[in-house]
Amino acid sequence: MRVPAVEMVGVTKRFGSVVACDRVSLSVREGEIHGLLGQNGAGKTTLMKILLGLVRPDAGRVLVRGHEVEIRDPRTAADLGIAMVQQHFSLVPAMRVWENVVLGAGGRLDRSAARGRIQEVARRYGLAVDPDARVEDLTTGERQRVEIVKCLWRDPALLILDEPTSVLTPAESRELFSVLRRVASHERRSVILISHKLDEIRHATDRVTVMRSGRVVARRATPGMDVADLAREMIGREPGTRAAAAAVGAMDAVVSPSPGEPERPGRTADADRGMEPGRPGPAAEPDHTGVFDRAATDRAEDLGRAGEPGPATRPRPAEPEEEPGDTLEFGRVADSGPAGDPGPAAVDEAEVLLRVRDAYATAPDGRPLLRGLSLHVRAGEILGIAGVEGNGQAALADLLSSLIELDAGVVEVCGRPVPTGRAGAMHRAGVGVVPEDRHRSGCVLDMSVAENLVLADVGRVAAGGLVRPRRLREHAARLIEEFEIVVTDPDAPLRRLSGGNQQKVVLARELSANPRVLVAAQPSRGLDVAAAEYVAERIRRAARDGIAVLLISSDLEEILALAHRVAVIHRGAIAGEMPRAEADVARLALLMGGRAA
Amino acid sequence: MTSPPLGAARATSTPRAAARLRAVLTYAASLTVALALATAVVTLSGHSAADTLLALYQGSLEGGASLGQTVDEAVPLLLVAVGAVVCTRAGLFNIGQEGQVLIGATAGAAIALSAPGPGPLVLALTLAGSALGGALWAGVAAVLHYRRGVDVVIGTLLLVFVAGQVVSYAVNRDFLLQESAVPGQILAPQSDPVPEAARLPRLGEYPDFNVGGGVFLALAVTLLLAFLLRHGTWGFKVRMLGLNPVAARRAGVSAGWIGGGALLLSGACAGLAGGVVLTGGVYRLQPGLADNVGWEGLLVALVARNRPLLAVPVALFFGALRAGGGFLASTGVPRYLVSVVTALLVLAAVFPAAYAELRARRRRGSGGGA
Repeated sequence: MRVPAVEMVGVTKRFGSVVACDRVSLSVREGEIHGLLGQNGAGKTTLMKILLGLVRPDAGRVLVRGHEVEIRDPRTAADLGIAMVQQHFSLVPAMRVWENVVLGAGGRLDRSAARGRIQEVARRYGLAVDPDARVEDLTTGERQRVEIVKCLWRDPALLILDEPTSVLTPAESRELFSVLRRVASHERRSVILISHKLDEIRHATDRVTVMRSGRVVARRATPGMDVADLAREMIGREPGTRAAAAAVGAMDAVVSPSPGEPERPGRTADADRGMEPGRPGPAAEPDHTGVFDRAATDRAEDLGRAGEPGPATRPRPAEPEEEPGDTLEFGRVADSGPAGDPGPAAVDEAEVLLRVRDAYATAPDGRPLLRGLSLHVRAGEILGIAGVEGNGQAALADLLSSLIELDAGVVEVCGRPVPTGRAGAMHRAGVGVVPEDRHRSGCVLDMSVAENLVLADVGRVAAGGLVRPRRLREHAARLIEEFEIVVTDPDAPLRRLSGGNQQKVVLARELSANPRVLVAAQPSRGLDVAAAEYVAERIRRAARDGIAVLLISSDLEEILALAHRVAVIHRGAIAGEMPRAEADVARLALLMGGRAA
Repeated sequence: MTSPPLGAARATSTPRAAARLRAVLTYAASLTVALALATAVVTLSGHSAADTLLALYQGSLEGGASLGQTVDEAVPLLLVAVGAVVCTRAGLFNIGQEGQVLIGATAGAAIALSAPGPGPLVLALTLAGSALGGALWAGVAAVLHYRRGVDVVIGTLLLVFVAGQVVSYAVNRDFLLQESAVPGQILAPQSDPVPEAARLPRLGEYPDFNVGGGVFLALAVTLLLAFLLRHGTWGFKVRMLGLNPVAARRAGVSAGWIGGGALLLSGACAGLAGGVVLTGGVYRLQPGLADNVGWEGLLVALVARNRPLLAVPVALFFGALRAGGGFLASTGVPRYLVSVVTALLVLAAVFPAAYAELRARRRRGSGGGA
């Protein structure tokens, strides 16, 4: 075999205590398309940044055509012939295509020569671009072509593409792959294709390297590879064990302690039990739980077969007003024997509080955000939305925050349609939101903590059109105590609080408004373990109180620990869903990777 | 309150005092530089710097008449500034007050010259009409913004020039607001004087200090808006919208109603300022009636850092400059020199606020990731 075009050996990079890349080795041959597969945070992007000179590795070597090189900055990378097509375009919208391509190239600006070369590059690779078009007039697919031309124009030996198809239609994606194939096989250039989509990897690449949590977990030749196998490598759990964990979790939620009892950090409990090695399955559970466990699974399966779109595994009182103690009691009843049918108290008979039907939405720049998304959440149920980021999760949360308007489709809260995109309409209808980016839509950093604890519900502390300072202060004090928010002065700007306490402020406010539906998007992101557990417990309790909870997370662990039912979002629609007890990680992974399963 | 919060407050008071001291020093330094430059310019052009500064002082602060003049000049500035503050707090930048002042005065003149009725009612109608006129003029920019996406800064700015044309047109047409023809006299581009009944009363006689009634109007508007911004649910929503429009939208603050409303309100304040200028001293609608009140009112808001109560002393300072400048011109110092000197002093007043704002913005920009 000839010397690899680019080789990375034992590359390690730490960010503080986080190891982004742990002794990663990667070898890319000349003239091949090499797939790099992994979930968010697997270390793919960091690895590529090292190749591009944007990040310096702590250890390891990089070899280009067999010679060890030190890539200190992007210029060195460019001189070595390494170019990357950015995931987020770096084009100037007001400038023409040819101007964007030559931008930053240096040297004399020769318009006709530049245009000629661009046309030549475009012809050679079959990339249809008009050098004189303004970038702002182009579609996202066309913009990406300009980005690729911009890279190829510099005659690179290695071309890196980071999730290139996330902004493309399927037709555009196919076109892109045929261009890449030409680049690789006709010109003997190398291509690295970063993706989480299994089909893309299978169709477009020659070899694939799979990364998980900063490590390379698999290397395969693409032809004849087993997709399910790759999916499992990407997600990294043995499906059998996980299914057991999920089932145990389902049981956990039923036999939940009443609010009066000291709360266990349920999330870790679930995870610990589930991940215990050598536990073959539910049957090995201690007697009483095991019996119920199997029952829960069976019931869920039965309902699944009955064709009910979203049966949840957890039976619970239909009436949200029911005392928490009843839940406990019911848990005991179920405990003593599954034969005693709980009667009307099953979640799948509870009222549907949130329903989204055939939602289509488009971003201002013409990118489709939602493509026919439908879902429903019942009272007392936690529906987990899993998926690789950028598949419409943000749009779904924005939709339920009245921030985007639907092109088509309906949102119904408690059975009544709610106009989309109208300021405050979702909030008034009873939808509380803990947004993914709380600084963007969840709080006002320069207003005080007390003010942030009311925001939309300023009317509750006001009378006669005036905010009553005493009532504002009392309201703040009550929530600060109830939600254990660490704050010295409620009148200080929210900006001064730590991230975890800011998140608690948002959560406290949304829950204190007595919502019927709670949307929690990446609720534990950026929080320390204690805060994350607190938030998780609050979400559980919200569901126990009869709130319909929509949990959007890219952390599968979080979803499996909390949700009663799991749906996978892919390209702006629900690709599939299943009760948690049946949550088969292999299947989830396939769905997340865009494969029907 | 228990002791820990008190302790916390004391701990933060030291840096706050330091910041205050720094602000005072910045103002002193920038004023010194401006005075030095003004002295140089005046001396170089062959005038006495001492006489010039003395004249500025005499025209603005020495004696009751000068003080009254200062207050009168400050009143429309304050009205414009408070409106600008509300609008800026809502996250919109209305910079077309100069035009809104003119249209407000035009609407006021039209009412004052045509409405029959008892005096006080005509005056009230005139002022209300002025406010409405200014609001409608700002409303054009609001409609352009919310319906067509025209930037508020561009919309309001360009409407200033349209307003100038509208007033020119009105005071040059005998079927509109041009003054009545008097045989043997050449018609000037201005309206008839507004009737006695529609003029703001002047108050105070001792010894020669008197001010127009507009000062009470301006103070009342300022206090009311300052109070509502701070304590009203309306002010709560305005601030929310200005500080985080996305969170505000989710929380049900309609950008159109609250933001557009703030824009209209600032137009109304500017229009009212026009009405006060018309009924408080000029009495005739003239194309030059606004006389930079709109622009300087914006500067007042800037120096006051968008705090409505702080706008009161700042407006008085700018009013003093205007009064002093007028007096200076009447002592024979060329008009251009007066403009240069007052402009330098205005810059001295604006610079520290602008500098602080730029610094804060840079700090926010670098610390945003945290």
